[in-house]
Amino acid sequence: MVENRPWLSFLTHLVLIVGVVVVVFPVYLAFIASTHGSGDFMRGLVPLLPGPHMLENYGRMLTQGISTAGAPPVSIMLMNSTIIAIVIAVGKIAISLLSAYAIVFFKFPFRLLAFWIIFITLMLPVEVRIIPTFAVVANLGLLNSYVGLTLPLIASATATFLFRQFFLTVPDELMEAARVDGAGPMKFFRDILLPLSRTNIAALFVILFIYGWVQYLWPLLVTTDSRYYTVVMGIKRLAATADSEPLWNLVMASVILAMLPPVLVVIFMQRLFVKGLVDTEK
Amino acid sequence: MQTKRTIFPNKLLPYALLAPQLAVTLIFFIWPAAQAVKSSFEREDPFGFRTTFIWFENYTRLFSEPGYLNSLTKTAIFAVSVTLLSMSLALLLAVAVNRVLKSNRTYTTLLVWPYAVAPVVVGILWWFMFNPTIGIAPYMLRGLGIDWNHRVDGNQAMILVVIAASWKQISYNFLFFVAGLQSVPQSLNEAAAIDGAGPFKRFWTIVFPLLSPTTFFLLIVNINYAMFDTFGLIDATTNGGPNQATNILVYKVYADGFLGLNIGSSAAQSVVLMLIVIALTAIQFRYIERRVQY
Amino acid sequence: MATIDLIDLKKNYGNVQAVKGVNLTVADGELIVLVGPSGCGKSTLLRMVAGLETVTSGRIEIGGKDVVRAEPAERDIAMVFQNYALYPHMSVRGNLEYGLKNRGTPRAEIDRRVQDAADILEIGPLLERKPRQLSGGQRQRVAMGRAIVREPAAFLFDEPLSNLDAKLRVQMRVEIRRLQRRLKTTSLYVTHDQLEAMTLADRLVVMNGGLVEQIGTPIEVYDRPATLFVAGFIGSPPMNLIPAASLSGGENAEALQLGADTDIVGLRPDQLHLERPEGNALTLAGTVELLEPVGGESHLHVQIPGTEQPIILTVQGRPKLEEGDTITIYARPENIHPFNQQTGWRTDAS
Repeated sequence: MVENRPWLSFLTHLVLIVGVVVVVFPVYLAFIASTHGSGDFMRGLVPLLPGPHMLENYGRMLTQGISTAGAPPVSIMLMNSTIIAIVIAVGKIAISLLSAYAIVFFKFPFRLLAFWIIFITLMLPVEVRIIPTFAVVANLGLLNSYVGLTLPLIASATATFLFRQFFLTVPDELMEAARVDGAGPMKFFRDILLPLSRTNIAALFVILFIYGWVQYLWPLLVTTDSRYYTVVMGIKRLAATADSEPLWNLVMASVILAMLPPVLVVIFMQRLFVKGLVDTEK
Repeated sequence: MQTKRTIFPNKLLPYALLAPQLAVTLIFFIWPAAQAVKSSFEREDPFGFRTTFIWFENYTRLFSEPGYLNSLTKTAIFAVSVTLLSMSLALLLAVAVNRVLKSNRTYTTLLVWPYAVAPVVVGILWWFMFNPTIGIAPYMLRGLGIDWNHRVDGNQAMILVVIAASWKQISYNFLFFVAGLQSVPQSLNEAAAIDGAGPFKRFWTIVFPLLSPTTFFLLIVNINYAMFDTFGLIDATTNGGPNQATNILVYKVYADGFLGLNIGSSAAQSVVLMLIVIALTAIQFRYIERRVQY
Repeated sequence: MATIDLIDLKKNYGNVQAVKGVNLTVADGELIVLVGPSGCGKSTLLRMVAGLETVTSGRIEIGGKDVVRAEPAERDIAMVFQNYALYPHMSVRGNLEYGLKNRGTPRAEIDRRVQDAADILEIGPLLERKPRQLSGGQRQRVAMGRAIVREPAAFLFDEPLSNLDAKLRVQMRVEIRRLQRRLKTTSLYVTHDQLEAMTLADRLVVMNGGLVEQIGTPIEVYDRPATLFVAGFIGSPPMNLIPAASLSGGENAEALQLGADTDIVGLRPDQLHLERPEGNALTLAGTVELLEPVGGESHLHVQIPGTEQPIILTVQGRPKLEEGDTITIYARPENIHPFNQQTGWRTDAS
């Protein structure tokens, strides 16, 4: 700061505090709602202070769910979401590491073509090719399976480009030294390149875990069996019925549970999260 | 394209390394996209027995359909509003955080976590706040003499989805603006202060112009976000209604194809969307090419 | 222990000929330095010997065995890189062991060799550190250590000292020389620094434009540069190259005795004198243009009529001269190097 103006500092903090309040308020409201009994909503206004039913509501959602709304216990859906987010993140990282390695450290016919095919995936988000992609997955018999939920999402141009950028910054001499030291391509990849990519892998994992967790449209399409519901899509089904039945407290308890894992990842791995976010957009 | 100075001499290994990525891409991306392009030129009879090649008929019909034109307009309004709202709020917060010396990490943490909230969950949070029967926002607005019911009023529905979508995107824009602000050399600010420019003048004449690469980049990313990543949000708040008021393109392509089962029209819509993404990506990469050497 | 033979070795990059046919034999235990300006092909040559660059044509034999198609690891060589190329995530010990482990060397043997190398290079206390915790000089030692533990047939050095500051460079230069004498491992060493080349080499290979200009001991190369390029490249300050026409005539005719094809005459700055030596001498009169004291000696820049560049001579101590003084300088006939501009060759080649 160049000069010291008290009113400006005051304004700065005011802006930030208002910003934080606006950002936090909807979640606060949801949390409050999740601590009340269902009768508390009959009066026509959402309470603003915590109620006494928190453990009861969360316990019920985690273990039982609401069968009338077709929603299984949240614990099962959380488990599904975790599995799917991890498989997607690990899968994307694994296949992107391999393809970036091929593109940077080898020369071979059709290298440029391969690069462009990967690049094209950037331009084809699920949302724009829903029906034919669904048809492919249905024909392969992958509906209602973890494979169907994850495999179609694990191609990643962004991750490939990130690793490619990183590999290009690894000094040529390192690979040459390893070759003189008797390391073949896969040994070099495992012994030298992977350990060097640790930070990038971790940062990318944070971003991709969130990406996998928040998927909605794809799970919605390929799962009809509630055993495979993810928490994000399960909530939507809950909420759709909550409007007719006053189950706000239970819906909001699930909302908080659905938000918590990825939000905690962002808060506790903030440094990696920021690095991942900024690097993938380079 | 760049490689290493020395390369491994293996002939088959690189293909094996690329195989998983290429297989997934071809099966789940390229093939379905090609299918979409193909069906966009075809008409299927109601029983699915016969398909006829009909050139651009699906497209001409699409662009003469009032529902689609409405959707195009709504998408434009939605994308522009979300971009402007979330970017300006994010910039304001980023500038403020950049001025704070001690507690900026705490503020940052408190501001960035919405990035991790799923769009559909964002939708539910705001839908709850604005719920016409029990929501707190309609209650307060009633005090101001405004009767809020986004289930009936199309404009209010649009306002609701814009606010919700912007709320989520602030965190992303905020982080990039903070990064951009930190790369503005402090010496420039000091020089301008010595030249007698006050803090506001310094911001608009020195800092903001230097931020223009970040701003431009975020502009593209935000339009992309508003157009393609908000499906869940719309689905959780308005279902595209009332009366198509928030039926943006990605929602419509899903509704027409999956719920309405109009394959030809849905395919044509998909192709139009692809063209939009391609255009946005091209713009983004033209800009990035100047920064990073690919 | 092995010899290295390069037979008509060539390397093309597309249409560019980087190495245009090099023949060289490195004797067992010999340290040969490849020296030349950047882009002369010396690094390419070394990297072909290492197996990091494919060979366009010709042969490379290490210990009498053709290795052109062999992987780097199969050539029984070790290499020291300019930027050291230490594996950043491995400890010093890990760096030293990596190549041995890949070869399946028994644990006890690995430990013995690492200990030996650590003793020789005095890096024992650093063994558990990571490369980023080391100074430039220490990294350099570790890079050498990685080569030593392998006990290879040959060492290849690719400008190993150019990332060090001037003082450390001199120190490490001496150490490399001492180490190589002690281990008696055949070595090829690439540098662009002619002083480094002179002090290290058993024999020098001066390269230019993808070709070998001259091979010889440092003294041979200094005393009888075979080409104009070598004459200008080796020695500091560089040899003065003067058109023969501007010298002939008058009393110089007897001292010069030049062949008909000589049109350039080379004079080393340290073989020019301010006093007339006994017997015949080349005599040049000129004006002192610049006097550079460099400590124990001084460099005099003298402008001579009929030449464009001033002549530089090195004189001991601090001559009592001022800029603008007119002086006469002398050279012995045996210190006159005759060249032909067209061919670039020496004209009195025996």
